Amino acid sequence: MPASPVRPRLPLLVGLVLSASLSAADGDRFEVPVAVKTLDNGLTVVVSPDHSAPVVGVSVVYKVGMRSEPKNRTGFAHLFEHLMFEGTPNAPEGTFDKVITGGGGRNNGSTRPDFTNYIEIAPVSALEPILWLEADRMTTLDFNEKTLKNQQDVVKEEIRVNVKNQPYGGFMWIDIGQQAFSKWENNHDGYGSFVDLESAKLDDVRAFHRDYYGPNNAVLSLAGDVTPEQGFALAEKYFGQIAKRETPKRPDVSEPLNTAEKRITQSDALAQVPAVAVGYKTADRGSKDQAPMAVLAEVLAGGDASRLYQNLVKGKAMALNIDSLFGLTGPFEYDGPTLLTLFALYKPNVKVDDVLAEMDAQIAEIVKNGVSDAELARVKTAMLADWNNSLESFLSRADTLAKYQALWGDAKIANQVPGWIQAVTSDDLKRVAGTYLTVANRTVIDRKPAAMLATDAEKQ
Amino acid sequence: MTKTILTLCIAALISPIAIAADMAMPKDLPAYAADKPLPVPAIDQRTLDNGLTVWVVPRAGMPRVDYVLAFKGAGLAADEAATPGFASTLAGLLTEGTAKRDSKAIAEQAQSLGGSVGAFANNDGLVVSADALASNADAMLGLLAEVVRGANFPEQEIALAKANALQGLKAAEAQPGFRAERAILKAVYGEHPYARTQNTEEGIQAITRDTLVAAYQQRLRPERALLVVTGRIDAETGFKLAQQHLGDWKVEGKAAPATTAAASTAKPSFVHLERVGSVQSAVRVGRPAVPATDADYIPLRVASTILGGGFSSRLMQNLREDKGYTYGAYLGYRAQVAGGALIAGADVRNEVTGAALGEFFGEYKRIGAEAVSARELDMNKRYIAGGYLISNQLQGAVAGTLANNWLVGLPPEFLGEFVPKVRAVDAAQVQAIGKKYFAPEQQSIVVVGDNAVIEQLKAYGDFAAAK
Repeated sequence: MPASPVRPRLPLLVGLVLSASLSAADGDRFEVPVAVKTLDNGLTVVVSPDHSAPVVGVSVVYKVGMRSEPKNRTGFAHLFEHLMFEGTPNAPEGTFDKVITGGGGRNNGSTRPDFTNYIEIAPVSALEPILWLEADRMTTLDFNEKTLKNQQDVVKEEIRVNVKNQPYGGFMWIDIGQQAFSKWENNHDGYGSFVDLESAKLDDVRAFHRDYYGPNNAVLSLAGDVTPEQGFALAEKYFGQIAKRETPKRPDVSEPLNTAEKRITQSDALAQVPAVAVGYKTADRGSKDQAPMAVLAEVLAGGDASRLYQNLVKGKAMALNIDSLFGLTGPFEYDGPTLLTLFALYKPNVKVDDVLAEMDAQIAEIVKNGVSDAELARVKTAMLADWNNSLESFLSRADTLAKYQALWGDAKIANQVPGWIQAVTSDDLKRVAGTYLTVANRTVIDRKPAAMLATDAEKQ
Repeated sequence: MTKTILTLCIAALISPIAIAADMAMPKDLPAYAADKPLPVPAIDQRTLDNGLTVWVVPRAGMPRVDYVLAFKGAGLAADEAATPGFASTLAGLLTEGTAKRDSKAIAEQAQSLGGSVGAFANNDGLVVSADALASNADAMLGLLAEVVRGANFPEQEIALAKANALQGLKAAEAQPGFRAERAILKAVYGEHPYARTQNTEEGIQAITRDTLVAAYQQRLRPERALLVVTGRIDAETGFKLAQQHLGDWKVEGKAAPATTAAASTAKPSFVHLERVGSVQSAVRVGRPAVPATDADYIPLRVASTILGGGFSSRLMQNLREDKGYTYGAYLGYRAQVAGGALIAGADVRNEVTGAALGEFFGEYKRIGAEAVSARELDMNKRYIAGGYLISNQLQGAVAGTLANNWLVGLPPEFLGEFVPKVRAVDAAQVQAIGKKYFAPEQQSIVVVGDNAVIEQLKAYGDFAAAK
């Protein structure tokens, strides 16, 4: 049996869930039904029925991402994701999209450090063709030079349009991780270098599919107008015959918190307004600090009522915005070293040190005094509402459940997260702010318009 | 010269795509199941004494209530030529202070209700939206009514909004898509207000509290407004809350005049905007079209979807999947109350800028020259119907669609009639629409990119350099 990257949930979190009580009205809880079954070939199937609309969301999550790509092939997991749409021996290039479009559906895929997901939403009348297509590309692909070359070109255009031709170039989610982490698995560019992308060979594609795209390394999740009985039977019908395949052991990607601050200044040829990203290594998946970190991010930077918005954007009027990111995913959707990153565009007449000092002052205030009951209560209410909203669409419901099943080994976590959030106390926030949001544990990138940097240099 | 290039391009691309659209399906692929009946939301309608229209669409799903309050004729098209984008600033400042609460208190109240309140402007209207956990439905409509009826535009909030808008504009100018959008709208709409949706430095600086208050009093009025309520709430409660929070709302003065009609044709223009060192060209192709109430609206929706409405569209399949020129090529039909536009685009690497235009126009010519096959037409109609079903699953989207339909002049029944009307479109209609709207010689072109690409553009028009 292949090694599973999924570790069991910590027992402590179970305790938190049981003791949780909600201050928002009970009727505001939105629990989704979750049925789970594993087929003989190792494919885990999740079904969440909801017959309120004749629509179904489908997500197939593979437990492979940027951390697992070959060392001389940066960007390969993402390039591979593109190739999953480029045809099989049974369904030539173009078939996949046309069948889903003709079924009235939409589809997409995305690559993240710890998983790659393939998602569809469609009228339920298209469910069987969609499952056939997903099973077909799980079985094998049409490995050919023409589509490889085509998608190498498309991915390079994707990188140009999202990174190279854009001000800021995604530095708050690409460069910050390259600077903050020490292990290659965590600090290489997941979009990839053009040289590595161009070097990809069909043999690489074959090996990656064989090693990471077997049923035993995947989760199939359905949400919407389908019952668990129907969903499990359809999964067996279309996926049951795919043989399980050996999956390589996942490398140890863990690394400790940083012990010395890292400061980088970057020049941006396209930007007109300076920006700063501050990345803090955050709590491990399953740690008792994970839910408090999610709440802390919301207290600091969750919308117009948050402390940093009120102080940096309003109040001191230093910044144009304040955003927070948990790597490329969400606060509960990672399974390896991840950053909580604060990101702001700041005004050209403001010094970046003053922006950082204001952030530090707000963090120090929480470390010292915590957060009032009233503030904590309204932040939690907003997070409960956000959680409900994130499960409204059948597509994001299916995808969220698939990701929890893949990363935590239990899709039912989706109904427990609101309880974890509810259980967070002011003391928890003091503790995690003092542990993770320290100067020593942070990486700062100050991204300045090239013209501004040149002027700064002249002044000195 | 232009003609030759176009002809060659068309010859090169027709066969593979035409075959692809009609390709044989895998023999084991299961058929689609029978379609379930189309769900059509039941809309309870009432008009309050002050003229406010209220529609309630109760739903059994999420424990959430959504409100959309739309004001007709209060959007960007109502702005003075000297202050484009003014309606966006007006909308943003509604939630920055009332007699009762300052900006922070409004944000905290929304957060404590498990929701949000905010406003934005589009061409035809100003839209204030709010949502909350179901148990807070009453309090959230109270907050929405408070900002709509009692916004007081504090001076320091205006100053901050202007300062941030100036910086935001600078940041946006660095994005090729922002400049391309401004230029293509100008090419399509000329002097019509639909051309002016982005703010300018001078326009931002000209905003004062007096101009904001005057526009607020003129544009936000109950007899020009529709409130849509969706979610876990019954119709009677919805009407009761609307009456309670907005029933006694009265305003003075006169409403703004309606937007004048935009022309449905324009003399094409060709614009190159220099972007030094750009590694891609942002290419936009556009022309004016017709408003949402025009008889061509439905077939034009179908034709534009076939050309550039999704991943299986001709433009995406050609420019991305066949040529690898771009991450995405698309076409959008923007239908408004007083006009419309057909705007296509792709960001392509520098060396294929001219070739990409050739592919756009090859596809544009083909949709007027050949009848679409039954299979491709059916695929696209089902794609549009699926979009309706998928959107209809989300209560906020239902509220938003109803409000937007109302703003562009479509009746409430249109929501349920849309899919049947789309299903009735035939191949001859699509081809006629193709001829009427997609002739290459009717299209304006905007390219934002390095000066080195100009040479490639010569075959497509006499390009003027602009800022």
